[in-house]
Amino acid sequence: MSEQLSFLLGIFPELLIGFPNNRPGGLLLTVLLSAASLIVGTVFGVVVGAAHHSRFSAVRFIASLWVQVIRGIPLLVQLVVVHTTLGAGQIPGIETSALQSAFVTLVVYTSAYQGDVIGAGIASVPASQVDDARLLGASAFGLLGTLLIPTSLRVMRPALITQAITVFKDSSVVVVLGVVDLTTTARIALGGDVGNAPFWVATYLLVGALYFAVAWSAGRLVVHYDTSARNKFETISS
Amino acid sequence: MFDWLTPELREQAVDGLLVTVGLTIVTSIASLALGYWAALSRTSGGAIRKRAAGVYIEIFRNVPALILVLFFAFAVPNIVPLEPRRTIFFSNPVADALGAITGVPIPYYLAAAVLALTLNTGAHLAEVMRAGFNSVPASRVDAARSLGATSLDAVRAVVAPIGVRIAFPAISNRLIHNLKNTSLASFVAVPEFFQVVQGEITRTFQARTLLLFAAVVYLLLSTVMTAGLKLIERRLGQVQGETEPLRV
Repeated sequence: MSEQLSFLLGIFPELLIGFPNNRPGGLLLTVLLSAASLIVGTVFGVVVGAAHHSRFSAVRFIASLWVQVIRGIPLLVQLVVVHTTLGAGQIPGIETSALQSAFVTLVVYTSAYQGDVIGAGIASVPASQVDDARLLGASAFGLLGTLLIPTSLRVMRPALITQAITVFKDSSVVVVLGVVDLTTTARIALGGDVGNAPFWVATYLLVGALYFAVAWSAGRLVVHYDTSARNKFETISS
Repeated sequence: MFDWLTPELREQAVDGLLVTVGLTIVTSIASLALGYWAALSRTSGGAIRKRAAGVYIEIFRNVPALILVLFFAFAVPNIVPLEPRRTIFFSNPVADALGAITGVPIPYYLAAAVLALTLNTGAHLAEVMRAGFNSVPASRVDAARSLGATSLDAVRAVVAPIGVRIAFPAISNRLIHNLKNTSLASFVAVPEFFQVVQGEITRTFQARTLLLFAAVVYLLLSTVMTAGLKLIERRLGQVQGETEPLRV
């Protein structure tokens, strides 16, 4: 038992922040990578969501095609496709590292999922309010920035956070590119050393617990906002 | 244009596809049953059952599917020392039979992937079903109760069928996610479709063509599955009258 504990204590710093020569890694890299992709991806998601409501049918078509295609292909496949395209110098002047390829893929992935949520959120804003804003002379961007996004944010927030948690967990798949996130760090730490066999279960339990801690805490936010959105709605409707 | 699609590759790809489709069907059905049971327990079970279902849902929803796959396939056998390990996990009549039926070289890894995906998808499905159950109007429950149904009967006969219909779009989404998650089995040497493609890439180095092929195949699979689920959704029909106490 104490053997298990001392092994876990030994690799714990590496699981948290990565190997000494390759930091940030581990959970820290998982959090940084998913946070950065979520921020950039959600900005693109606003574009995708707004495009769902464009007055041009071609734009609407492209937006829904984007969502359908990205959501129809496993993230694992997307990561490998992006890395063999951007990482192997297939496009002149571009040669990304594994981490950069992972970032680009997660941004694309996030933009489709969040775009879908934001598109639905925009649809939830009453048409009468949109008409009022138009009458007051709001431009398309003004409409989006001052009415559609702020008004629907309360409704969208639980779904946006839920998707964010999904991206955080799904980012474990970057192990396929060798990005030293939490999952990869655990795999390297256990390595091919047969002597480590007794520690596999404990290590994966610890890795699972670390993912759980972040995802579960973020999930509490969903519950909080979900309740507050419902309460708010009730006061409006009654 | 299709020179890369050699007869051998076609044969392997079809085998891989069969494993992917089989994995999807088995884990979908198992996780629907598990999710339904957990959602029912969470909504109307006794105190202990409610608690147990809650713990199950929270744990398996918040840990990445990949970690679960790696845990059950690679970590669990290491609990026991080398000698009994071979017999318990890899070479016994059950494993041999499973291998003979599926044609998979290491049946234990397949079973581990099925278990991991089922537990993961089951927890997600339980959560969306529970949300569906909760949005069934209280008036329906009252109606059932006034006709003499116990509270568990009311949930099973009235709330669950309506709740599942309300939750159906979310259930479909999760089942599609599960289809894509079967690709994670490639990490544990299960010869599903993506594993076959990766094997072919290391042999022929035609990465771009083969990956495009894989992407198109998965896109087709999820499109077909989405259409099938839409069909089922339409068959189930819309919930009449007030569906949710409030729409947000």
